[in-house]
Amino acid sequence: MANKAGPQRPNGTAQAKICQFKLVLLGESAVGKSSLVLRFVKGQFHEYQESTIGAAFLTQTVCLDDTTVKFEIWDTAGQERYHSLAPMYYRGAQAAIVVYDVTNQDTFGRAKTWVKELQRQASPNIVIALAGNKADLANKRCVEYEEAQAYAEENGLLFMETSAKTGTNVNEIFLAIAKKLPKSETIGGSGSGQGRRLVESDTTAKTSTSCCK
Amino acid sequence: MEHPKKSQSCELYPSKKEIHNYHGVVHSVISYGKEDDQQLNGTLSLIQESEKVVIEWRPNDVSIDTECQEDTEWALVNTNTRTRTSSGSVDGALSKLHVNIMLNDVKTIKVSNKKNKLTFTLKDNKQKVFFFHFGNVNQFFEELRTTVTLKRSHHDSNLYFVHDKNAIVQSFSDLTLVDRGGDTVWNLVGDLKRRPYETTLSTFSKLTELLLYRNPEARPEGAMVEILSSLSSTDGCPEVDDSYHFICPVLGPRKLEPRGIPLSQDHWETAKDTEGKIINPDHIKQIIFKGGITPSLRPELWKYLLCLYPWNSTKKEREDILNEKTEEYKRMRAQWSTMSADQESRFTFFRDKKSLVEKDVNRTDRTMPFYAGANNPNLELLSDILMTYIMYNFDLGYVQGMSDLLSPILAVLGNEVEAFWCFVGFMNIMYHNFDEDQSGMKKQLSQLHTLLTAVAPDLATYLDSHDSGSMCFCFRWLLVWFKREFPLEDVNVLWEVLWTGLPCTNFHLLICVAILEKEKNKLMSAGNGLSEVLKHVNDLSYNMDLNDILMRATGIYNQLDQSSNLTASTQRVLGLAHDLISVQQSQSEPEEIVGEEKIDVSMENGYEKSIEYNYF
Ligand SMILES: Nc1nc2c(ncn2[C@@H]2O[C@H](COP(=O)(O)OP(=O)(O)OP(=O)(O)O)[C@@H](O)[C@H]2O)c(=O)[nH]1
Ligand SMILES: [Mg+2]
Repeated sequence: MANKAGPQRPNGTAQAKICQFKLVLLGESAVGKSSLVLRFVKGQFHEYQESTIGAAFLTQTVCLDDTTVKFEIWDTAGQERYHSLAPMYYRGAQAAIVVYDVTNQDTFGRAKTWVKELQRQASPNIVIALAGNKADLANKRCVEYEEAQAYAEENGLLFMETSAKTGTNVNEIFLAIAKKLPKSETIGGSGSGQGRRLVESDTTAKTSTSCCK
Repeated sequence: MEHPKKSQSCELYPSKKEIHNYHGVVHSVISYGKEDDQQLNGTLSLIQESEKVVIEWRPNDVSIDTECQEDTEWALVNTNTRTRTSSGSVDGALSKLHVNIMLNDVKTIKVSNKKNKLTFTLKDNKQKVFFFHFGNVNQFFEELRTTVTLKRSHHDSNLYFVHDKNAIVQSFSDLTLVDRGGDTVWNLVGDLKRRPYETTLSTFSKLTELLLYRNPEARPEGAMVEILSSLSSTDGCPEVDDSYHFICPVLGPRKLEPRGIPLSQDHWETAKDTEGKIINPDHIKQIIFKGGITPSLRPELWKYLLCLYPWNSTKKEREDILNEKTEEYKRMRAQWSTMSADQESRFTFFRDKKSLVEKDVNRTDRTMPFYAGANNPNLELLSDILMTYIMYNFDLGYVQGMSDLLSPILAVLGNEVEAFWCFVGFMNIMYHNFDEDQSGMKKQLSQLHTLLTAVAPDLATYLDSHDSGSMCFCFRWLLVWFKREFPLEDVNVLWEVLWTGLPCTNFHLLICVAILEKEKNKLMSAGNGLSEVLKHVNDLSYNMDLNDILMRATGIYNQLDQSSNLTASTQRVLGLAHDLISVQQSQSEPEEIVGEEKIDVSMENGYEKSIEYNYF
């Protein structure tokens, strides 16, 4: 269980709020989506991680200042054949991590396609992060950091190179997303398509219309 | 026995006394000649209004799009969602759908032979037909009889004249509702007393009912249009009422028969004649269906089950077949293995497929001894067979999931050529799972929903109303036939059972139903939406008892097979259509059958439609 992502202690104050966000992982098959989730949620890495069929759902919580952010993570199957299932998984997602494999140029191209699709079809305010995974395989690198960095900047994406194997930047990328997600809206008021579900912690006695200020 | 839930509807009519009602009744409005038939849930009530007795059907459900439910905006939208409007907020347009029958106005009541329909003929000769889809006509009829005197026709023992409004009489048995030799419902009552079975017991008192508007003037097309348009323009959406009770079909009691013993060496030896032909393949398949195959016999039997060898082939013929197939395999294998890197560089399709195979071979069943360890030669076999399959079926190529289908076959057969051809046989069954447009998977998920509705309608309704009606959480189960859900030895048994093709088509869907039904309570825990459902279903992996599941699935099959109340779509999915024909032949009211059939088709189509729009 031990999660290195964020200190789990709900920093003692009665003001602790819990915000829940739906996050989806997209990217070509075998770039390491499931591995990133497994590292983030369970702190593990499996060399022979099975391919994902359909989708997997996991949750993990990180703490940011006085806010607890609960990620509802949808890990999808990457193969093109299953592309048509993707919309139902990213529908309503507030955040997405588009993953490519730094040792495989094609997967970077595919990542760009995913970004375009998300920008066109996902929730308008979706926070998108680009993850160049398998950064540990430095000698096999095909996609340069600068190239991806420039692309991410142009498109307003968070960007990090990660390694699910070593754990480098895995928690960091989720935390960066958590920071970027807006946490000030009221429950279900907006109809903005954000669909955020805000849950109050037991310790607070707030009205149902205010949360995560 | 649980009693039907009392509805709050009488609170709306303080002057009325409600005698009896059934909550959550499925109501299909059939607009003849129109494609977009609507399905509504409602409540059928017997109401005493001072002197009068009224039979009232009220829609308490509307099919709405959950998109407007703020709490679940991110989740899958599913038009199959049924949300119960609280009775106080019934829309004006909805009320136009109400059916009120004054018992005073009723001339005759006819009970159908199968005790699943009540036809009210009014004094103006208009008819209202209530189709009690799952046979609970008896219960309702009993209540009816406490408020009105019925006199049976001399000519037709199922026809009753309404005599007087305020009398009580006759014992229920006088109505000959009770027996006609083999009336499933009443046998069930007996069985329930003797051997209460949780599921049937809890569901017995519930009913699903279809109300048919026989009378053209009563067709509520206009009202329907109004309802739908008023709903789509409603700002506030009704809240989901978790206490909403869906009505279950009454299937007969489920018998769980223990699994048999695996097909043994001794038995197999006696199964062949002197030339080596299998004398009675059906019998062999029966044994395999009941108990699987002794592991040492698998390599031989799987070649029959997967159609490499015909059951009636002689030993000599099988040798010839193998020689021929070996040559064919070598030829196809050479087509890709001789390709130079230079050629490959200009062959994107091939390159892409090859890279997919490499990625997957590297992570298929690596914890299994047969594939474990770096540079395990069996990985190369796995890869070679998949590559050759690309050449065998170039249109399909390689799709993720296929390595899962091959892996156990190769591990059992251990022989490249045989494993290839058995894999081809398996793929011939599974081909549509890998359709480019997912239509094969879509169809199965829809069929699964149909079956679940027949077996556990409360669960089906729950899923519908919790963004899970697409059944997409079963995608993995279906795509690779539970390969990821059970340890290898169980997968071997399960697959050989399924390869027998017994006892009906789509038995694998009944396995899904068996698992889902077993997990029903957990799946229906408060607030479980698609994510929780998917998580629960995924987490079942390696935590299920295959024998128990197979016993349940077989038991469910028998229940369905013996039920006289299956919808036509359920029968179609299981290939039990012959029953439908015999039902039609035995019916004296053919036009009602047309109606039934029509409902069915529309339900199925409507369901598929909803998947199309919202799932894929
Ligand atoms: N060296 C290295 N290997 C990794 C890393 N992340 C994942 N892998 C390996 O890459 C392979 C694929 O990883 P998965 O996590 O299954 O990839 P995926 O994106 O989930 O693939 P699909 O489920 O098919 O879409 C596995 O063998 C992993 O062990 C990483 O950071 N470094
Ligand atoms: Mg994966």
